[in-house]
Amino acid sequence: MQSKASSFRAKTFFITGAVLLGIVVLAFVMSLVCSPYDPNATSAKEILLPPSAQHVFGTDNFGRDVFSRILDASKYTIFISIAGVAIALLLGVVTGLPAGYFGGFPDRCIMLFNNSIMCFPGILLALVAVAVFGPSMFNVVWALGLVFAPTFARVCRAGAMELKTRDFIMHAKVMRVKPLRIMYSHILPNLMPQLLPATVIGLANMTLFESGMSYLGLGVQPPDASFGKMLADCKAYVLTAPWLVIFPSLMLIIYILGLYFMSEGIRVSYSGRSDS
Amino acid sequence: MTRHTHIVKVHHLSLAFPTRHDPDPKPVLKDLDFGIRDGEILGLIGNSGSGKTMTAMAIAGLLPEGAVITGGSIKFAGEDLTAMKPRRRRQMLGSNIGVIFQEPSTALDPLMKIGTNLDEILLTHGMKDKKERRERVLNMLGTCGFTEPEEIYSRYPHQLSGGQRQRVLIAGAALLEPRLLICDEPTSSLDTVTTIQILSLLKDICHKMHMTVLFISHDLSAVRNFCDRVMVMREGEIVDRDLAEDMLLHPRSGYTAELLTNARLDTRMLGLERATVDYSASPVLVAKDITARYDNSSADVLKGTCFEIYPREILGLIGSSGCGKTTLVKSLLGLMPHGGTIDCDNRQTGAVFQDPVSCLNPAHSVEWHLLEPLRAAGVKLNKQERINRATQALQDVGLSADYLSRRPRQLSGGQRQRIAIAMSLMLEPSLIVADEPFSSLDSSSAAEILKLLTDINRERGTSFLLITHNIHIVRQICPRVIVMDGGTVCEEGLTSEVLAAPKSDAARRLLEAEATLHGENFSE
Repeated sequence: MQSKASSFRAKTFFITGAVLLGIVVLAFVMSLVCSPYDPNATSAKEILLPPSAQHVFGTDNFGRDVFSRILDASKYTIFISIAGVAIALLLGVVTGLPAGYFGGFPDRCIMLFNNSIMCFPGILLALVAVAVFGPSMFNVVWALGLVFAPTFARVCRAGAMELKTRDFIMHAKVMRVKPLRIMYSHILPNLMPQLLPATVIGLANMTLFESGMSYLGLGVQPPDASFGKMLADCKAYVLTAPWLVIFPSLMLIIYILGLYFMSEGIRVSYSGRSDS
Repeated sequence: MTRHTHIVKVHHLSLAFPTRHDPDPKPVLKDLDFGIRDGEILGLIGNSGSGKTMTAMAIAGLLPEGAVITGGSIKFAGEDLTAMKPRRRRQMLGSNIGVIFQEPSTALDPLMKIGTNLDEILLTHGMKDKKERRERVLNMLGTCGFTEPEEIYSRYPHQLSGGQRQRVLIAGAALLEPRLLICDEPTSSLDTVTTIQILSLLKDICHKMHMTVLFISHDLSAVRNFCDRVMVMREGEIVDRDLAEDMLLHPRSGYTAELLTNARLDTRMLGLERATVDYSASPVLVAKDITARYDNSSADVLKGTCFEIYPREILGLIGSSGCGKTTLVKSLLGLMPHGGTIDCDNRQTGAVFQDPVSCLNPAHSVEWHLLEPLRAAGVKLNKQERINRATQALQDVGLSADYLSRRPRQLSGGQRQRIAIAMSLMLEPSLIVADEPFSSLDSSSAAEILKLLTDINRERGTSFLLITHNIHIVRQICPRVIVMDGGTVCEEGLTSEVLAAPKSDAARRLLEAEATLHGENFSE
């Protein structure tokens, strides 16, 4: 039974998260259909203009419209975070479930590999991968996916280890259900309360990593826009043209806060009804 | 007539779970009016969902989130608990009101030694002297029947058996010498022999420390042998109350009589009728010299178990906790590696497990559960056939097609157990292994499930291996019984002969415990 207080809390989190994410998604849609300017078009006459009716968020040091660039950046940010998390989730589930379910030697092998990835700082590994294979958006996506996979693998492994001793899994074994089906059809749906919030948090962390890498010049490559890249480019103008810092940071904060609220909402709504 | 002083007086108490959408819901407790006399042991019986636990939690002040007392009052030694400030209310817990819960395995902190667990209780209630605390705890462990308190003091909870843990919990509750002790089904997860130990310990301690006890149970016979007075609850109301002896021998209300019939499992009243067994036919299962051990232990749990099950037979398997019953089930079902041979009819073996809470997958609907055995066996059906098969399976276990789309959490324990049975039946097995299928159900649900099992046995000719610690059930429906002790079968024979003249020590112990707990005239 879901109590009144927790359902109210879950709803508040969901609505707040949805409103914040809605802003970013709106930017994403606008970048596809009605960007006011070409985000990469430079103009020597309109350098570092403050926000005005013509350029709502002002222009940068090349005279590019900041508003259009933010719309464009949200497109890449959303793509990278979703694609990266999808790779991480897939890898995590595919390795974590068998490790937890079978235990023993396969478990030790898989976890040895996972733990060796986890003992390096994630950003360092991703940077090395990108430095070796060359900076490009696709390299960033798979590198981040690989770095984030062990987190999901751990969630799946722990869940499988706990659930495999329950009577309903015993029952499935007695019915001669094949191990693959037990893992994906019997165990995996029960891990959703842990996996869904982890996925959403993963999206937020992935975005921060991507911004960090782009800030260092190893992520999205010019002339494409990214929030991290935009912040890096305006370092010299923080005091003279603060709008160059404020608006990209604001969008980043909105996106990440929105994701956190969403994951909190999912967590609360699951914990409210799992008591039975 | 003597006047009794009441330690607890519940006056027209009503309780409900109001929500924003439904501000005036059906009450969970309706106008309860009763008193607990000083020094008595009051039993509270009724089926699951009748409001027994809610009543106890209302008195203890441990109501779940969302529960609201909509009317009436609870007076403890003259003080109104419902009007009390939360802080004062908390202080009442432990020192004035002690509570013992059902599940001894989760009530102790697994990371703390037993001594630390108990020490903590005294420390929170302001006993500063470390030496004195240790003395008190050791004394209390001794009182609670531990012959080596020092040894228990330094052990961890997982190193104790269920019965020992329950005794530790009783010790913990008794440490503060509360005036009222609330026991919420303290024995329902224990076997008969241990139950008796716990009940006699509770009775002893109550007399020694002059404690009043509110004892909640669905085991009617335990209540009869343990309590002074009994109240019967049904759907949030008290429907009957009397002295224990009088009520259970001569029930006044129809509902109490029904509960008693269910608890007695009278074959004629319930219409239990099993199939007739042909012992000249070849057995459906022959087990020879089964040995098994757990990974990290050096000793065998099963030491050469041999037995066979004939077609259409319900074979009873009894034995005290730890004798290897569950390990045997796992070996038979192929859930753990074992030595020896198991010759089984090629058709699939079905299984019904003890715990109705974890026997179904919480993430899936009833329909999914019913069709899973077919999918696993590779049976291909179209949508309409699937629905027909699932509906038929539900009807076979006495449920309507409405249940198809429900989730396990929307079902009661008895209903879940029915779904588990329906799943086992989907592939028409020749043998179903049932591991204590009744022990976590109340007496009415248990009677229904028992009837269902005998119906399946009669109509389909399915054999059963029925593992239970209820000897009464074995007496009623099993033509043959085997008794296990220490990993081997120590006695085997016709039920009537084994129970009338047990040859082995293990069987004798079980029967003695049964007689003490349920009383001869009750089971006959």
